[in-house]
Amino acid sequence: MPADFNWAIGGEAGDGIDSTGKIFAQALSRAGRHVFTSKDFASRIRGGYTAYKVRTSVDQVQSVVDRLDVLIALTQRTIDENLDELHEGSVIIYDGERTQMQDVEIPDGMVGLSVPLKRLAEDAGGAIMANVVALGAACEVGSFPIENLDSALEKRFKSKGQQLVENNMEAARAGQDYVKEEYDHDFDDYDLETTDEDYVLLNGDEAIGMGAIAAGCRYYAGYPITPATDVMQYLTGRIENWGGHVVQAEDELSAINLALGAARAGARSMTATSGPGIDLMTETFGLVATSETPLVIADVMRSGPSTGMPTKQEQGDLNMALYGGHGEIPRFVLAPTTVSECFWKTVEAFNLAEKYQTPVFLLADLAMAVTEQTFSPEAFDMDAVEIDRGFVVDENDIGEHQTEKGQFKPHELTEDGVSPRAFPGTDGGAHMSTGLEHDEMGRRTEDTDMRIEQVDKRNRKVETATEREDWSPREFGDPDSDTLVLSWGSNEGALVEAVRFLEEDGIDVRFLSVPYIFPRPDLSEEINDADDVIVVECNQTGQFADVLEHDALRRVKRVNKYNGVRFKADELADDIKETLAAEAEA
Amino acid sequence: MSAFNAIDDEREIDREEFTPALEPQPTWCPGCGDFGVLKALKQAMPEVGRTPEETLLVTGIGCSGKLNSYFESYGFHTIHGRSLPIARAAKLANPGLEVVAAGGDGDGYGIGGNHFMHTARENHDMTYIVFNNEIFGLTKGQTSPTSPMGHKSKTQPHGSAKQPLRPLSMALNSGASYIARTAAVNPNQAKQILQEAMEHDGFAHVDFLTQCPTWNKDAKQYVPYIDINESDDYDFDNTNREEAAEMMFETENKLHEGEVLTGRYYVDSDRPSYQQEKQNIGEMPDEPLAERYFDEDYEWERSYDMFLDKHA
Ligand SMILES: Cc1ncc(C[n+]2csc(CCOP(=O)(O)OP(=O)(O)O)c2C)c(N)n1
Ligand code: SF4
Ligand SMILES: [Mg+2]
Repeated sequence: MPADFNWAIGGEAGDGIDSTGKIFAQALSRAGRHVFTSKDFASRIRGGYTAYKVRTSVDQVQSVVDRLDVLIALTQRTIDENLDELHEGSVIIYDGERTQMQDVEIPDGMVGLSVPLKRLAEDAGGAIMANVVALGAACEVGSFPIENLDSALEKRFKSKGQQLVENNMEAARAGQDYVKEEYDHDFDDYDLETTDEDYVLLNGDEAIGMGAIAAGCRYYAGYPITPATDVMQYLTGRIENWGGHVVQAEDELSAINLALGAARAGARSMTATSGPGIDLMTETFGLVATSETPLVIADVMRSGPSTGMPTKQEQGDLNMALYGGHGEIPRFVLAPTTVSECFWKTVEAFNLAEKYQTPVFLLADLAMAVTEQTFSPEAFDMDAVEIDRGFVVDENDIGEHQTEKGQFKPHELTEDGVSPRAFPGTDGGAHMSTGLEHDEMGRRTEDTDMRIEQVDKRNRKVETATEREDWSPREFGDPDSDTLVLSWGSNEGALVEAVRFLEEDGIDVRFLSVPYIFPRPDLSEEINDADDVIVVECNQTGQFADVLEHDALRRVKRVNKYNGVRFKADELADDIKETLAAEAEA
Repeated sequence: MSAFNAIDDEREIDREEFTPALEPQPTWCPGCGDFGVLKALKQAMPEVGRTPEETLLVTGIGCSGKLNSYFESYGFHTIHGRSLPIARAAKLANPGLEVVAAGGDGDGYGIGGNHFMHTARENHDMTYIVFNNEIFGLTKGQTSPTSPMGHKSKTQPHGSAKQPLRPLSMALNSGASYIARTAAVNPNQAKQILQEAMEHDGFAHVDFLTQCPTWNKDAKQYVPYIDINESDDYDFDNTNREEAAEMMFETENKLHEGEVLTGRYYVDSDRPSYQQEKQNIGEMPDEPLAERYFDEDYEWERSYDMFLDKHA
């Protein structure tokens, strides 16, 4: 039996594909199995096709692979779209009684299970439950205890009444029984073992939202945009429980300025968006930096430029995060590498923002944002969350940071570059803040010396942080290998598995996954010591490869993907092999 | 009781407290209407009973945006057109603050027009003063959204072909709950209107006519002015939306015929502010968002269940 099981449901948009997929993922998670989901909007043919894919194992799974074991196909096209991933022995569940599915062709060597999904659903109380009948059938194929599905159904439909929950449970059983009775087939290959583990299932956007609350974020402003909307939806209705508030802004110009206003008043605050929104927000980056206001700005990247491919993966905004905005803007750029890291990097972003009073960019990407993944609850250990609000003064210690005339110095020239902050409403702290160049008191100035002092002071904060904080990469594979693979963002999971595949083929590589884009670890030694250096990223030009080449003064090889689909583990292993082989030939 | 010690400080307030030690003398051109706003604001503050330390003045970019250099308080001089989102979020984060936003006609009705509409619509509890000189002052005299039709400038040498924007009507249609117009040449009315605007619970919009003798020479000095609430020639109920709309329309027409009408055009004291609305439906905590949660002994309640129930 293969260690992992790959399942999918596909059909047309509007067929309830997402919600059915989520119910199955939830059921697996409740049964103590690890889950990694992905959404497939891949379109080789015109028209509506969407699929929800679940990879599951008793071990942690961190990526998708090019293999499909069980497919619930609501349309012929679902089969056609997945021909490459289906294999001998794959099971296809479909409704042979539906006109559009009567002539379905099950490819040679595969097992077709025709189950009257619609008819059985109607018997159980409504055709709308046809997908749940299919889930029941899938449970039978995987010898998966249907009680786990029950509890997922209950969670999903509880709010709509017990009757509906029971109808759904009945529908699932009808599917299960039908397969049991009509198909005398041995599906042993796909037995879905259960465990006693308790897991939580969440996606990257939700992890960012959770991290924000845990980090003490009290104000969120955003304007809906795929794939960042889930951050806002997660916080809405939850952050209130911790004394916070979510605002839907009129546009992104407003969203970032709202977040900035709340931050000036003293609340930890953030905004999140994707490419088109970050373009609008760029205007305000400089003001955040010169007014030295802490702010967390999340960009959940999608395919650009312009409206691009809104539901597709890409890591094309790295240069924007590093360089966006006119003038020279001190900033930090963090890029979480996994769903759980979305939580931790968000916490870190808030602390960095307040400790150094700078904008902090959180660069996440679509692949991670929409992936539902299981974790042990310990992965989100709230007790390990520490909050550092930095150099805040109140009425008691404000006197130490005033001029002789009693004027507060919000941009005081200090050794480490960090100046005191006083929130409006504090006695003795009244001061002005401005996007104009200013002196220590925040008064505009064009004095040549003060200009240099203030620019240097702001940049000194970055130098201080570079020394004080830990910017290490995450290390995988063989530390002694001569082949060095580098990547950033959500590619980590697929690469970790690819490294394992390569190892099985006798190829050892060292893999460094870099979550800090700026400041970033100095990897020049690692890069110069390796024979082969390969930088993997989801964009065409190799934006991260460019900065690494600049750091190390050495050319690197690049593996780039920009067709809108995330990297897959097996595909990456092949890409790395090919890159190494091409090198050997050259 | 707020954790911010200056808030609700009950003490005598002298208007001179609002004159900053560092830059007591504004650098506006002699005769500029902006002086009138500064003076009226300084006079209104003690009447409202707020100190410099519990006041946040957020400005845009323009000659008008320099206001907070000459006004002692917490101040934020922001970017062109964006003062409103910054101001309204600061107010939401700490409702104990007196929050005033200010900027020019280009800043507020042009580049920041969308924020004006939405801040009014949402009825945030704050005051917005627009220095309306019908011109871009700081950038040296280009046509602004309120410049009258036919008004000549360097960018419209043959005279503006555009209808000027109607600020009062726009505020009303957008949902502002207090709308007034005053003029720099009318200091008593200006002071009273600013005071009322600050005391109003909701979004108060004050279109403040400020002459720019340097770049808008053909514009009148906004004299003589008529106070519509006092004049016998005008009889309307400023709590009635339709009557207010009509009065505004007439006022906006008359300005360009050379007659300056000012006063309180619309007052709706019943409409709840954004904050109140959100509190009513349970989406806004009672404690200010910016309460001092950095205190050492702040209770960091991060109960596991509250997070993870959704995901289990
Ligand atoms: C994004 C941006 N565009 C243009 C400018 C240049 N600019 C500064 S103030 C201003 C217009 C000022 O007119 P108004 O808002 O009416 O203010 P006033 O100077 O008349 O008080 C312009 C165009 C700028 N600072 N920022
Ligand atoms: S240019 Fe006009 S608006 Fe600006 S300070 Fe001079 S008079 Fe006032
Ligand atoms: Mg103007």
